[in-house]
Amino acid sequence: MRQLNIKKNLWIFIKYATLIMGSVISVLPVIVCVITAFKTPEEYATTSVMTFPASWSYINNFTEAWQKANMGVAFRNSSIILVFVLFGSVMTGSMLAYVLSRFKFPGNGLIRNLFLFASLLPGIAMQVSVYQIMYSLGWINSLTGYIILMCGTDVMSIYIFIQYFENIPTSLDESAIMDGCTYFGVFFRVLLPLLKPAVITVMILKGVGTYNEYYAANLYLQDKNRLVTVATSLFKFTGPLGNQYNYICAGVIITMIPALLIFIICQKQIYSGLTQGAVKG
Amino acid sequence: MRQRYGKRFLAVVLIGTLTATLAACSKKEEAGAGKTDLGVTFSQIKLGEHTDLKADLKFLTHKTDVVDTEFKDYVTEFQKMYPNITIEYEGITNYADDITTRLTTGDWGDICMIPTTVDKDELENYFVPLGNLDELSKEYTMLLNYSYDNKVYGIPSMGNTQGIVYNKAVFDKAGVKELPKTPEEFLDDLQKIKDNTDAVPLYTNFAAGWTMTAWDAYIDACATGQANFAHEGRVKGDNPFADRGDQTGPYAVYNLLYEAVSRHLTEDDPTTTDWEGSKARLNKGEIACMALGSWSIVQMKSAAEHGDDVAYMPFPISVNGKQYTAVSPDYNYGINCNSSADNQLAAMLYIKWLIDKSGFELTQGGVPVKVNAEMPEFLKAFDGVELLYDVPVPAGEETLGNDVNNESELGINISGQMAKSVVEAAIDGQPTMEDLAKEWDEKWTAAQEKYGITH
Amino acid sequence: MNTKRAPFNFFKWIQSGKVNRRLCVVTFMLAPLLLLLIFTYIPFLKMFQFSFYDMKYIGARKFVGLKNYSEVFSRKDCFQALKLSGYYIVASFVQLAMALWFASVLSFKVKGGGLYKGFMFFPYLVCGIAVGFIFKFFYTRGFVLDTVLQWVGFSQESLPYWLKDKSINNISIAATSVWRYMGQNMVLFIGAIMSVDSTLYEAAAIDGASGFNKFRYIVFPSIKTIIVLNMILAITGSLSVFEPPYVITGGEFGTGTYFVIMNKLAHESQKVGLASAMAIVLFGLILLATMIQKFGEWYFLGVGEQEAARTIRRNKKLKKQYEQQQRANRTEGGDGI
Repeated sequence: MRQLNIKKNLWIFIKYATLIMGSVISVLPVIVCVITAFKTPEEYATTSVMTFPASWSYINNFTEAWQKANMGVAFRNSSIILVFVLFGSVMTGSMLAYVLSRFKFPGNGLIRNLFLFASLLPGIAMQVSVYQIMYSLGWINSLTGYIILMCGTDVMSIYIFIQYFENIPTSLDESAIMDGCTYFGVFFRVLLPLLKPAVITVMILKGVGTYNEYYAANLYLQDKNRLVTVATSLFKFTGPLGNQYNYICAGVIITMIPALLIFIICQKQIYSGLTQGAVKG
Repeated sequence: MRQRYGKRFLAVVLIGTLTATLAACSKKEEAGAGKTDLGVTFSQIKLGEHTDLKADLKFLTHKTDVVDTEFKDYVTEFQKMYPNITIEYEGITNYADDITTRLTTGDWGDICMIPTTVDKDELENYFVPLGNLDELSKEYTMLLNYSYDNKVYGIPSMGNTQGIVYNKAVFDKAGVKELPKTPEEFLDDLQKIKDNTDAVPLYTNFAAGWTMTAWDAYIDACATGQANFAHEGRVKGDNPFADRGDQTGPYAVYNLLYEAVSRHLTEDDPTTTDWEGSKARLNKGEIACMALGSWSIVQMKSAAEHGDDVAYMPFPISVNGKQYTAVSPDYNYGINCNSSADNQLAAMLYIKWLIDKSGFELTQGGVPVKVNAEMPEFLKAFDGVELLYDVPVPAGEETLGNDVNNESELGINISGQMAKSVVEAAIDGQPTMEDLAKEWDEKWTAAQEKYGITH
Repeated sequence: MNTKRAPFNFFKWIQSGKVNRRLCVVTFMLAPLLLLLIFTYIPFLKMFQFSFYDMKYIGARKFVGLKNYSEVFSRKDCFQALKLSGYYIVASFVQLAMALWFASVLSFKVKGGGLYKGFMFFPYLVCGIAVGFIFKFFYTRGFVLDTVLQWVGFSQESLPYWLKDKSINNISIAATSVWRYMGQNMVLFIGAIMSVDSTLYEAAAIDGASGFNKFRYIVFPSIKTIIVLNMILAITGSLSVFEPPYVITGGEFGTGTYFVIMNKLAHESQKVGLASAMAIVLFGLILLATMIQKFGEWYFLGVGEQEAARTIRRNKKLKKQYEQQQRANRTEGGDGI
């Protein structure tokens, strides 16, 4: 009895110790950002990055960053982009995964591999060619064009859906079909609701990726007054002669807060989905 | 049966779309196809004419820091004379790379700062010829970088001179009585600063990357006293990077850096230098000097309260007892040859206004572009130093400089790679400066051979 | 008997088995495949085309055939840079292991679970623009990392220059990559683990399975597909790593990976053809690595519902042995009588 208890306690200790260490390490480097965000421009220019700001209530950086970087417009644009891209990605990803995992047809393996190989390709190397294609489609400086570009499903989302389909027994499909459902119906009415945790995971991952995406946004959404996104808004503070990190850090903190909140909410959603699954049996 | 047809059909469709898009893409590569010919040159137009001209211009610039301040004011001033011309500035962050990508489509706006990635023989496909070289040189200097075939395609926004920005108070405290005139004197002075003060003698700002290209600016006219050294001595010369033995030439410049680093007269950790912080530190006397162009003076002075201590000295190399400094152009303005005639004219008028009337170079610590204009304050300290401007390159050899530079991958004035490798070598202790110079000469000679330069 | 044919009903036809199936397959795949083709494969083909030329982004180009490829193999810096990927490969396996560990722990009831998840996912949310800034100051001598280590008891003298010292600077940079992406991997695994039917856990608990056994026999096999995918992406990601070294040290002091060098060649020296050839060569290597891994997956783990090829073989062998035994027993028995 004693031995079992010790082993169990050790186990619990290791569990929590690693969780705490992991959390601390994750947050530690960002301390520099937090400190810098509260400094006045003079303090920023003259004091070392490690010295605490004179006053933690100096929030000018935040208000000025919001105004100068046009963050109101940025959040609006980013929200629009997110809604469409997430919807598009989840739909096309799950539909593609459905077809790839439930149907046997020649080219199934080939298509899976095509997507895999596409993710192996270096995006940076092809920047100029993609730019020319977007240009010939008339999609430079267009929100629509950018959204469609971002909808290109990445292999991770597809595979998460495939993984989920593999764990859902095909007996469900078969009974639905025997009841007279079309294949479309099977997908929309039977399987999609069961994919909730996968959908949320993909939404989180793709969502954050799109939210922070600055490379393509900078290249294609050139009109910075109209088409600025949250990620490119901070470029306002980078200049050829140096970056104004006090504003950048304040801006980074502003951008991170909504993302963190939404993440925490979504996590709760997943938990409730888990218990739902258990009841279904 | 049906399945096989289906597959074949799909294949045909795929191949069809592929070839169609490829064809469309290759057609777009013919830039300069929609060229408009203006028929008027830069020197012919006068400010004050065409005041009812209507145009909407888009201006791409690398100076994202002043887009909302100085540039806005310039537009307001300009519009007093030309109320119907609107100019929209677009600051681009990663300028050199982004502008090159945008130029490939031919439809990028009206005015931009011409990047180094456009070769001289390509200029006519992208930019409007502003006039003849001989004619324009009567009024403006430094037009050579973007001229080809006697036509000028770009005109500089301002000029830069090269030297070292330093803190007078620190130098005085260390006991440096006279400004150094040779590399050895400079190194001795740095040593005095290290022994007698707490300041970092020479701060390289290695981590920022672009700051290292400053060293490339000293190796030609400044280090040799010859205005045509860049082309005749370096691009076409034999082993230009070798030690000349007399503390002049490119070797002496890089060796100065090598010695400074290996004698621990620079910061301990080049990989984590902080550009933004260094400005205030120089101002306050925690850093003694930095190797940067004249544009940096304004920045350093305004960084903290000791602006008066900030001064500028010519680079410490003397050729036969005399010091030289090169005056070279900063980014040049270029007008899109695909823009409409009205836009091109409006663009010319705006650029002319910027150069003649805006005073841009004064706010940036640069040298004016107009001939015989008044030189800025800091140059008064360059008493006795001869200013050398670029000289024209023989016809037919215009692209040679860029070609050899790119082929050799030394990236002079582009990447700062040479100065970076000097710092790294000095810290590791190997290769030695001689080895580095030999390596550079080998690459350079191989590149020269590819382009037909033999010795 | 002549039965009149029923009039052709479009909707019924669509809903009929085979047509419906084919329609479903095609429409569901159309949009993603089109996007893939236009934005990925066509630029790829163009890049492939570029690799046969000596060209810049702006200007005429000259066809040089395979010269660029021979140069990629003969230059010493290209493949030298690939060695650096070793650091990143090790780092990504550490990252995967950590992500799996935390995901398994956090998929079940843990006190304050949501909080831990939030903290560890947090690095992924930081905007790319600030990452260079954050880590430069993290590794600067006497700053964040050094200060914390000093609290724990190390003295400043014994601490190295994290980014200057060539023996460890690659490890420092690889560590930042782990920092940034571990949380993302963890959330991915949590999501995948959710796909497992929870009744399985209850059944296993009744049978007396320990935590570790639950992981090994229930969780691990169910998320095989995702784990293998992550391993493939980890290796390919390590071979083509670009952002961390570029943003933190610019590739100096021996941290320049293959991609950083490729980028320099394309943008600083304008050798676009050579850079494209480098990209294609790397892609070939990645393809090779992926195929090796897929073979490993097929052999050791089994794809989807199929058992591992190794187990299939073993089972076949065992079956054969068993049958031989049976035959031996029968003949023996027959003789006996």
